[in-house]
Amino acid sequence: MQGFHGKYLRYDLSRREGRVVELDEAVLRGVLGGVGLGSFLLHEEAPVGVDPLAPEAPLIFVFSPLVGTGITTSAKFAVVAKSPLTNRICDALASSHFAIDGKRMGYDAIVFVGACDAPSDWVRGELRPSVSWGRSAEETGRALRSEGRVAAIGIAGENRVRYATISSDGRHAGRGGLGAVMGAKRLKSVVVAGDIETSSADPERVSALALALRNRANGPATAKYSQLGTIGNMLTFDRLGALPTRNFQQSHFEGAEALAGERWQGERRHRRASCAHCTIGCEHRFGYQAKGKDGDASTREVRAEYESLFALGPLCGIDDPDEVLAASQRCDELGLDTISAGGTLAFAMECGDRGELEGGPRFGESVLGWLDQIAAREGLGDRLALGSRRFAEELGGDAIDRAPQVKGMELPGYEPRSLQTMALGLAVGTRGADHNRSGAYEADFSDKVDRLHGDARSVAHAIESEDRAALIDSLVLCKFVRAAFDDLFEESAELLTAVTGESFKAIDLQGAAARIVDLRKAFNQREGAGPKEDTLPKRLLEEPLRSGPAVGARLPARRLAEMIEGYYAGRGWTAEGRVSKKRLAQLADELGLAPRKRADRVTNEDVQ
Amino acid sequence: MKRAALVLCGGRSKRMGRAKAWLPWFGQTMVEHVVSTLGPLVDEVVVVTAADLDLPPLPAQVVRDQEAELGPLAGLRDGLAVVESDLVFVTGTDVPEIPAGYLERLFSREGACAPISEGHVQVLSAVYPARAAAEAAASLLAAGKRRPLDLLEALDYQAIEESEVVAPGEARPWQGFNTPEAYLSAVRARDIDATAQVEILGRAAIGLEESIFDVPVSTLGEALRRLPASLELIEDGRVAQSYLVSLGGRDVVRDLDLPIGPGERVSVLDALAGG
Repeated sequence: MQGFHGKYLRYDLSRREGRVVELDEAVLRGVLGGVGLGSFLLHEEAPVGVDPLAPEAPLIFVFSPLVGTGITTSAKFAVVAKSPLTNRICDALASSHFAIDGKRMGYDAIVFVGACDAPSDWVRGELRPSVSWGRSAEETGRALRSEGRVAAIGIAGENRVRYATISSDGRHAGRGGLGAVMGAKRLKSVVVAGDIETSSADPERVSALALALRNRANGPATAKYSQLGTIGNMLTFDRLGALPTRNFQQSHFEGAEALAGERWQGERRHRRASCAHCTIGCEHRFGYQAKGKDGDASTREVRAEYESLFALGPLCGIDDPDEVLAASQRCDELGLDTISAGGTLAFAMECGDRGELEGGPRFGESVLGWLDQIAAREGLGDRLALGSRRFAEELGGDAIDRAPQVKGMELPGYEPRSLQTMALGLAVGTRGADHNRSGAYEADFSDKVDRLHGDARSVAHAIESEDRAALIDSLVLCKFVRAAFDDLFEESAELLTAVTGESFKAIDLQGAAARIVDLRKAFNQREGAGPKEDTLPKRLLEEPLRSGPAVGARLPARRLAEMIEGYYAGRGWTAEGRVSKKRLAQLADELGLAPRKRADRVTNEDVQ
Repeated sequence: MKRAALVLCGGRSKRMGRAKAWLPWFGQTMVEHVVSTLGPLVDEVVVVTAADLDLPPLPAQVVRDQEAELGPLAGLRDGLAVVESDLVFVTGTDVPEIPAGYLERLFSREGACAPISEGHVQVLSAVYPARAAAEAAASLLAAGKRRPLDLLEALDYQAIEESEVVAPGEARPWQGFNTPEAYLSAVRARDIDATAQVEILGRAAIGLEESIFDVPVSTLGEALRRLPASLELIEDGRVAQSYLVSLGGRDVVRDLDLPIGPGERVSVLDALAGG
């Protein structure tokens, strides 16, 4: 099947050797690439119950059939592992040339197992002593750029902060602490380059489809992202009472105006940029005044994204744009997930307000020093580096009720009480609280549901949204192109048919999406997950919103439970939220999910 | 005798198109306005809302109607069940004016009573003996009855001519509004110059000299038509696909016939909100 290499590289860092493992066509048809293929490989490669930071835990870089085709936004790769933040499946995506050059290595995925005996760079199949341990990912990228495209961790990853990122070209595979998995392997960077191209079965058809999609993606379908970027969410969410503020104590921030992208257009230096092979150009970079240690100020520039700004701004009660942009930049430099960093700090701030934590961060005060402490794991930063759930468990009492997390992953900037379809998506997501694997908020921001009162309509939208995300993340394309499709499944099938030369129908991809969701759930299941973790923090189920436009909104536990029950039924899972034995057997049969088979497929082809 | 007020706001508000309890009324929502009007006149206020309708914080006991499909009698039953006073005045949430004198005149009858206006018994502007009414409402519902008038009849109520309880020049305290037109008329009757605000957010706001526009209270369509045509906010008789409109930060709507009230903030948003 064209578009794929039909194999992956399994590299053992402890033994410093790689093996090539063949991939069945049935697997590639069944789970595609990206997140889907990564989920399959995690099943195959991760020992049951493995500690995510143990050498045996695999770290998987995955490419996709569309990489290299020139289709807009297709230069993305997935990183998949068991998360040290959630102990559940985790995948994260990043857009960069790393995807293109990585696929040119001749593999559909690169799986790292074992651990280096000293800090190392993996350069095109060769382990070398790290040239940049103790430095940022960006510096590492620059130091190794002549060798190929670089994905690297920052200091936070080296120190195994449980929400450390992996970054490439300044874009982060950000959520779930995959950088800590890499750090635990003492692997500072992965450098890829190659010249083994995959070809498309029908290049002319691929070009025509790519052109049509690109044209549609230049129009109104993506105008929000190209003209304003995700920071356009700030005021919108504020006006809808959906902007989590001060650790989810409010949903409306009095300082939102100061952090609004609409207001920055004329006030701040502004530059637009794009990821590799992207025609949308959603990246909006703004200038800010950075204060040096000597007190001098200088103008710097940083990419501004809503999720970073919400987490380091309203969630922490901070309305100074320079401070928020500086914090976002500091997270980038240290290799910290901005959402989890902001969420954990905001939780600690509320603990400080309640007298449960002395000497910690406080609402409205600078977080820059705390970010440094977290990355370095110094002082209180060492405990904050665990994430809000573990930190709350350490504090004891009822602190866990206020930790802003699901399955250990900090909530993104969507207030569940005023976005109740999204609340369901956040509760049941296999990755934890997640706005990228569920876009259920789209239903909330429409006249299709009552966003303040979730019901059966919410269930259908949440399932549909997850399936769409599973497909997009496995192709892999950027979510921001989603509105350019008239029929995502139909058009994706056309694309895959043209690329692979095999016939794909929409129904095949609907099946693949459902299979990928089930596969992810099945992984969590085998790792001990149960229905109790499909929920939201107790605070969100017991406290109504007390101010702002969504005042009075509440999400009683019973209402959420009814939606979850409907979701399980809609997915065909058991009432306890488990993938049935019959379905598990079907998955095993379709994908050959059995550890012994993997050994059978290992070839003797050594890595060059 | 202790006196209570019971405010029913669990109706579907179908003809209005938005929850009447949340309609703006000169600095408050309607339910806040009605509760704050009645609060000083009685010993307790109970509000009955639908199971799926959350309300703003109120100085009142809030009860949820679990059987909204049975109509206002079920709401009455659920509300009466928690009333501790002897007599209870029952009203809807869409009545902007309830004069103190009117309440006094009804309560002074010391039993079930309701005004008659143009031949109609005003069951939702009447006084009920709380305990007896609670029991009777439950029995009637069990017997398959649905009309509040059945309850008044079961309580052997006193019918009072309108002229006996409504003083000359006073508003009729049962005169609510079921449609956008009626609501807007009531607003204009109170203040002919009442205005709302439309705020443009998102990419449409880039380059606008002003992003907030004052507009007279009106339907959404009338308000949007007053904004710069270059924004292209309307297409095919609805809010254009590239936008979303939020009324008061709550309802996300596309229907141009919906009313916007005094002081209300209408937000025009990018259709691709989120992400």
